Amino acid sequence: MRGFLPFLGHRLVRAFIALWLVSTVVFVVMRLSGDPVPLLLPPDAPRSEIFRVRAELGLDRPLPVQYGVFLANLARGDFGRSIHFREPAFNVVRGYLAATLELGLTAFVLAALVAVPIGLFSAMRRNTLVDHAAMGVALVGQSAPTFFLGILFILLLSLKADLFPTSGRGDWRHLVLPALTLGAFTMASIARLTRSAVLEVLGADYIRTARAKGVSEMWVVAKHTLKNAAIPIVTITGLQFGTLLGGAVVTETVFSWPGIGRLAIQSIYNRDYPVVQCTVFLAALLFIVINFFIDLVYGLLDPRIRSG
Amino acid sequence: MELTRRDLLKGAAALGAAAGVPLTAGGPAQAQTTQKKELVVAQGGDISKFDPHFSTSSNDIRISFNLFDNLVSRRPDGKLHPGLATEWKTQGPTAWAFKVRQGVKWHNGDPFSSADAKFSLERTFDPTMKTRVNTVFTTIERIEAPDAGTLIIHTKKPDPLLPARLAFYGGQIIPKKYVEAVGGDTFNAKPVGTGPVKFVSWTKDDKVVLDANPSYWGGRIDVDRVIFRAIPEMAPRIAALLKGEVDVITQLPPDQGDRVNANASTRVSGALYAGLYVLAVNSKVKPLDNPLVKQALSLGIDREAIVKELWKARGIVPNGPIAKGDNHFDASLPPLAYNPKEARERLKKSGYKNEEIVIETTSGYTANDKPMSEAIAAMWKDAGVNAKVEIVEYSVRAQKNRDRSFKGLWWSDPTSTLGDPDGMMWRLLAPGGPQDYWRNAKFDELGEAARFSIDEKFRAQAYKEMTKVFLEHLPWLPVIQPYEDYGLQKYVDWTPNPNQQFEIRRFNFKMRRA
Repeated sequence: MRGFLPFLGHRLVRAFIALWLVSTVVFVVMRLSGDPVPLLLPPDAPRSEIFRVRAELGLDRPLPVQYGVFLANLARGDFGRSIHFREPAFNVVRGYLAATLELGLTAFVLAALVAVPIGLFSAMRRNTLVDHAAMGVALVGQSAPTFFLGILFILLLSLKADLFPTSGRGDWRHLVLPALTLGAFTMASIARLTRSAVLEVLGADYIRTARAKGVSEMWVVAKHTLKNAAIPIVTITGLQFGTLLGGAVVTETVFSWPGIGRLAIQSIYNRDYPVVQCTVFLAALLFIVINFFIDLVYGLLDPRIRSG
Repeated sequence: MELTRRDLLKGAAALGAAAGVPLTAGGPAQAQTTQKKELVVAQGGDISKFDPHFSTSSNDIRISFNLFDNLVSRRPDGKLHPGLATEWKTQGPTAWAFKVRQGVKWHNGDPFSSADAKFSLERTFDPTMKTRVNTVFTTIERIEAPDAGTLIIHTKKPDPLLPARLAFYGGQIIPKKYVEAVGGDTFNAKPVGTGPVKFVSWTKDDKVVLDANPSYWGGRIDVDRVIFRAIPEMAPRIAALLKGEVDVITQLPPDQGDRVNANASTRVSGALYAGLYVLAVNSKVKPLDNPLVKQALSLGIDREAIVKELWKARGIVPNGPIAKGDNHFDASLPPLAYNPKEARERLKKSGYKNEEIVIETTSGYTANDKPMSEAIAAMWKDAGVNAKVEIVEYSVRAQKNRDRSFKGLWWSDPTSTLGDPDGMMWRLLAPGGPQDYWRNAKFDELGEAARFSIDEKFRAQAYKEMTKVFLEHLPWLPVIQPYEDYGLQKYVDWTPNPNQQFEIRRFNFKMRRA
């Protein structure tokens, strides 16, 4: 394991820099987007009232000061109080997090479980009807907008076929359509990438050697192909988690799923800076943590990466 | 009428896509009766507050008007009926006496009395409370509760509309003892009212669960449980209705009515909105300070076409600044005219030098705002106006509203809060009001006098003359008075209220049983 600790340290520093950059960008963008105070007060509120509320929320201070306060609080894990809900932003976001994790992880697992076998199968049956059909469907999954797929699923699988409820959160049946919608893009990406990674490996010398040695096809796939194709697949899977978090915004709105995606949208409309900052920060943290672990996995899978 | 409106069209694009998919009435029972003991309502957004003095948004008041009672109740017929007050009359020119209902209990079992009413109303304008309804009762000077069954309200000047003010937002009565004991935050989280339903739970952005109040003074409602679900996208909201998952949906867009009516088990029910959709005018900027230019703009709008094409006839053409259904609406006035030739004439007469005239529109704040803006700009171009449409986000609009920095025209959907011009035209256009961009001595004098007169004949005459001044100067260009449509299961017997109160009391709501 020589060189693993520096590798780990390097990755950690990069993770922190990424988090800091994300928080800063969100801080700046939210403040560019407008003032929350007119949205909090009745349209005929007097100016004195507007100034009072601005002062109460600390919005009257210069931007660099606000930024300093923001960073100092962030370091203590304090995201501030929600302007709209009037309670700590973290408490607000926490209330929505479980729903998003439930949806996101289901979509993720569903995508991975379906996509890897399909990609593998397509590669093995390259240029057959099965391959073309699978990749055709994947292309649609990758290019159809989430809101379109979601509404299509509602119309076909819920309203027409009466298999699942149209929207809302409840038992497992409520989870199927949103998870399918959210996972579609990821599923398609992983399937396509699995196919090309497997194809590349299948053309390698050591596979030919293995076959020449008379190793059974099962073993060729399981041991030599999959293991070597795993690195790009693991990478894309980690990156796709970000797509899932992004897609959750639309999916949750279409299926009225009470998760952080919807919360983020509403909070942006309300100019609820603390909640948006907290949501984006947690999403970024989740993404970075997952990719951090994936980096580690791949450092283990392929020792060459550690020194690179 | 805030925020939530934009939810209405957020899914318009999505729905456009969905409309391409043919749809047969799927799902269960095409029954016109039901054994359900639960009413599920889907609205376009989640609620934000239960405390009725801290929100006026339509998603919130649909619930708060049922958790709480007002002293006076405005029913869907537009008339005032007894609520927590059984009768009321003036006592001299500047006092109203209310007889308060006896034997009413709060949801937590405490008895209700006139002291609660006094506490509630004073709370709305208490400067330390900073409520969102602090401008509703500005005419009140002081309130007395001499005994449990009597409430005397003294006004600064004669206030003919006090009972009407008590019937709308700000007028919901909250429990003094409970609120003082637990504080505002707990009250907002666990509200206690006297209304026909009591609070059970709220899962944010998902649903609010309410149970029937078994000992409601107005009679137990027709179901055991009422659930309000938030379904922000229009297409899934309609799908949930067609599939029978929900009983009522709000904010049904005009172009979806046929689909709901075509389905065997559902129907559309609408009420003419108690208010107008207008293009408000910044009459301080050139050339909109010139009445002739504004007259030309008004004459250049083909409102009939807008009602027919964009609203599928779910609306009417206004005839002035007073909404149909309000006091002093003058049915003898003709609908606002479309005459492009005359528009050109007046433009010429006005000395209009082809200055750019900008409509700053939101997209989905009010239904059809952007399509209407585009249609109107095109009509104006035909009449020789250099018109331009700019799209602004809702919060930018709020900011411009505050700064009074609109470049020209913008959409406003004033609600008539009192069923009277005082609660709409004068509330918004009065000096110092939210839309104070234009002044006229005669208009101002009459508006002020009418507000404080208890002589209805005088008031009628005042509003007639104010309408005349309005139509010459046009501080608003009224465009349409639309219907507010709801989708219902056919087994739901319910009449919508024009002012967005969602009335489920016994007199207005029942499920048809087999």
